[in-house]
Amino acid sequence: MPNSAQISIVIPLFDEEENVQRLVRSVQAAMREAGPWELILVDDGSRDATFERAGREANADFRVRVIRLARNYGQTMAMQAGFDSARGGIVVSMDGDLQNDPEDIPHLVAKLREGFDLVAGYRESRRDRFVTRKIPSWLANRLIAAITQVPIRDNGCTLKAFRREVLRDLHMYSEMHRFIPALVAATTSSRIAEIPVRHHPRRFGRSKYGLSRVWKVLADLLTMTMIRWFRERPLLMFSWGSATASLVGLGFLAGTLFVQATFRPVKAAALVFPGSTFLWFGLAGYLFMVGLIAEVAVREARRVA
Amino acid sequence: MPSGPAAVASNDRRTVSVVVPVVERPEDLCDIYHEFAAPLRDAEWGFEFVFVLEPWARQLRDPLEQLAKRGEPVRVLQASRDLGETGQLKLAAASCRAELLLTLPAYHRVQADCVASLLDHVGPSTDLVIARRWPRKDSWFNRLQSRVFHRLVGLASEQPFHDIACGVRAMRRHLLDEIPLYGDFARFLPLLAVQEGFQVKEVDCAQHPRDRQTRVYSPGTYIRRVIDLLGVFFLLRFTYKPLRFFGLFGSGLSLVGGGILIVLLIQRLMGRGLADRPLLLLGILLFTLGFQVVALGLIGELIVHLNAPKKPGYRVRERV
Repeated sequence: MPNSAQISIVIPLFDEEENVQRLVRSVQAAMREAGPWELILVDDGSRDATFERAGREANADFRVRVIRLARNYGQTMAMQAGFDSARGGIVVSMDGDLQNDPEDIPHLVAKLREGFDLVAGYRESRRDRFVTRKIPSWLANRLIAAITQVPIRDNGCTLKAFRREVLRDLHMYSEMHRFIPALVAATTSSRIAEIPVRHHPRRFGRSKYGLSRVWKVLADLLTMTMIRWFRERPLLMFSWGSATASLVGLGFLAGTLFVQATFRPVKAAALVFPGSTFLWFGLAGYLFMVGLIAEVAVREARRVA
Repeated sequence: MPSGPAAVASNDRRTVSVVVPVVERPEDLCDIYHEFAAPLRDAEWGFEFVFVLEPWARQLRDPLEQLAKRGEPVRVLQASRDLGETGQLKLAAASCRAELLLTLPAYHRVQADCVASLLDHVGPSTDLVIARRWPRKDSWFNRLQSRVFHRLVGLASEQPFHDIACGVRAMRRHLLDEIPLYGDFARFLPLLAVQEGFQVKEVDCAQHPRDRQTRVYSPGTYIRRVIDLLGVFFLLRFTYKPLRFFGLFGSGLSLVGGGILIVLLIQRLMGRGLADRPLLLLGILLFTLGFQVVALGLIGELIVHLNAPKKPGYRVRERV
């Protein structure tokens, strides 16, 4: 049974050997007055001495635990591993590269205890280059907020606090950790709050923005939208697409008849409009059939042997 | 490895099950047994040999049963239908009890004396050890085929492999239980093991003198290999994010189609009629095809999402 008073702090680490000790010390200092806590460091297949250093900290302080994953799975899986192992009633996620400040954790927890299920930090006075990082970031956050209808100001900030119950049905994979608030909102009605948090500039490592990142976020958004609205009834979503395609097909059908009635036979013989009509109806039919397959998938997944 | 005499009791002897799947062009199986049993005996391994035979290989059973009758630790599993290498491995794994498992192909690939060192390499930080034939003494054609194949394999796998076709592999037995294996994937076991989070190591082994023959396969075989490779590549890279792959492809198609349609639209507005322009068909075709591909990607994502709660997507190595 989770100990509801305890705070579990989950930090995924990848090749952070220089930062481990400082990280643990600053968490220990920040949490001194905050009540019972535990720190879960997840070594995400680091190739350097991260695990050894983390292990040393764990052996020195019983509140620190280390989970070493078999290979590098990515931040999302590492976080999921940490969440699965967390024993506290309140779970806090944080970055392992010292960009987040552990001093903010008590503030997040206090806000959570005011009656919220999820508290997200947003970075104010971001120390990053303006044009190449802040503007695309702002755009991305607005886009995500509009599509997921969860108004999070700063999706890129890992520092967030959750009630354990809210994480119970969360099964993340790929790169979904950026969308935890939206995922949580999709399955439960959660009260979400935001508070400003401190941000330290990245000390080591390169930033990973760029076009491919935009593309990945778009694809993930599409997936999440589909899952959020149509998880139980995918046929409905595909039927929408099918209906739209049918409408366009009808339009071309009208065009076909129009051409038959008014133009010279030579033009009509080119069969372009009839062909187009078929293509659109073909798409409509295809989408509907894919929707049926989706229904089969949902049905079979529900079948518990 | 046990250190002093006090540490070794008789049932502490390390045991290994040697599995020989007989799938194609088998050489003399008794020969193989004797050749590979000798170094195991010398290194004091407790072992058994398990030969798995397809239905067409029934006649190879007798000499092996003779061996068994003479007290050699040999077992024969006779498949009643064609299982393929993957099915045979699973069948054998189910009936083996030793802690370690060594797979050997039914023909000579490596010198027998390297198997003991292969087994020794399996340890707390290595779950699967595969043999690499090096240096190679066979024909340039074989080596060329191998190099091309493994270049392609390198695209699918983060860890470089040089000779996965060798088939001589030492592993902890439970690996076969935990890696989902089906179809023709036995060949790609090292790649799948890495994907599942196991530690895989490649060890150089001397090539067997009888492995020199130039091998030319039918075109169908080459095509099948490439298709398998594509399948493995897709599964390894995109198993959790199919929409990334399909979506990219699909939106590319739709963009091209959409571009054509826009051009046609502009021309229509400028007076050029549409009803006799076949290009319209091409534009619509590409545009709708893109949506179809994306729809498949969505199906993939749906399947992944529905199955995610069933088991954790990560494997833990150790906890402190």
